[in-house]
Amino acid sequence: MTEREPEQNDTYTAEHVREALARDERVNEPELDVQVVDGRVFVTGVVPTDERRSAVADVVRECCPHLEVENRTTIGRYGDNEVTERVR
Amino acid sequence: MIRIAAVGDVHVGPDMAGMLREQLATVASRADVLLIAGDLTKAGLPEEAEVLAGELHDLGVPVIAVLGNHDHHSDREHDVARILRDAEVAILEGDHTTIETASGTVGIAGVKGFGGGFPGASGSAFGEREMKAFIEHSKERADALGDALADLDADVKVALMHYAPVRETLSGEPPEIFPFLGSYLLAEAVDRGGADIAIHGHAHRGREHGVTPGGVHVRNVAQPVIRQGYAVYEFDAARDGSGRRRVTASSSTSA
Repeated sequence: MTEREPEQNDTYTAEHVREALARDERVNEPELDVQVVDGRVFVTGVVPTDERRSAVADVVRECCPHLEVENRTTIGRYGDNEVTERVR
Repeated sequence: MIRIAAVGDVHVGPDMAGMLREQLATVASRADVLLIAGDLTKAGLPEEAEVLAGELHDLGVPVIAVLGNHDHHSDREHDVARILRDAEVAILEGDHTTIETASGTVGIAGVKGFGGGFPGASGSAFGEREMKAFIEHSKERADALGDALADLDADVKVALMHYAPVRETLSGEPPEIFPFLGSYLLAEAVDRGGADIAIHGHAHRGREHGVTPGGVHVRNVAQPVIRQGYAVYEFDAARDGSGRRRVTASSSTSA
């Protein structure tokens, strides 16, 4: 049996995590980015609530109990800035 | 001036009760109508639609929406649409509605749309039945949008969809996934139907502004893109030299 390169496993792991974040009902966020580097799972993107941000970490831990989780998602708080633009 | 507020991809779930309503608090003073460009709910569950119905209740402006892919995820899209319609939110899918304002009429034709890609990198209805079904669904939805637009008689004609009609508003997304984010068939329908503006969501990492090959303004109002409670597009009654209405865009949220 041929041993796979770690980078190749990481590529597949990242995609499996991304799929889990899309399908898991606690998250349902297919738009998040996932990378696995040096034994750590990095998740980036925007989620609407603290609850969903915490769930992201839970889902990744359940998928990859042997890897560290770097949950770099942010909460999308849409504030009071105001922009006016003349299009034409 | 006719003022159209728009937002997409609000992904409402039970954990968001009260959040969207706060973001929309000023909409009645800023716009004549609110459009929502799909992905109304997190996973297309009736209980999520109930939360959204509460957020949109009695906003003071008509609310018109299309469903997005999130709203189809649980195969309960008909229940989601029914709950929202019961809350007086118009859900469009291949049909249209017209709103009377003090400055004129706004006609909105809406569809979810679908993927398939853009000129030079688009799929064809060829090969496996799954591939043919994918592209044929995209074509059916685009044709429905074009037909609904052609039926409209209004001072301002809006094409409302979830998927993107042009690649320009996807800039920032990985190009490899463009075929899953939209289809040129939607742009063709927008141009054929004579819309004044096309409004979509779905592409969270895209950008707001684009234009169809026929010269119609395109706006990606996915909330992570506009980073506002909603954007507002104002339409002057006067037309420019090309016969198109002048469009002014601004963005606003409640404080």
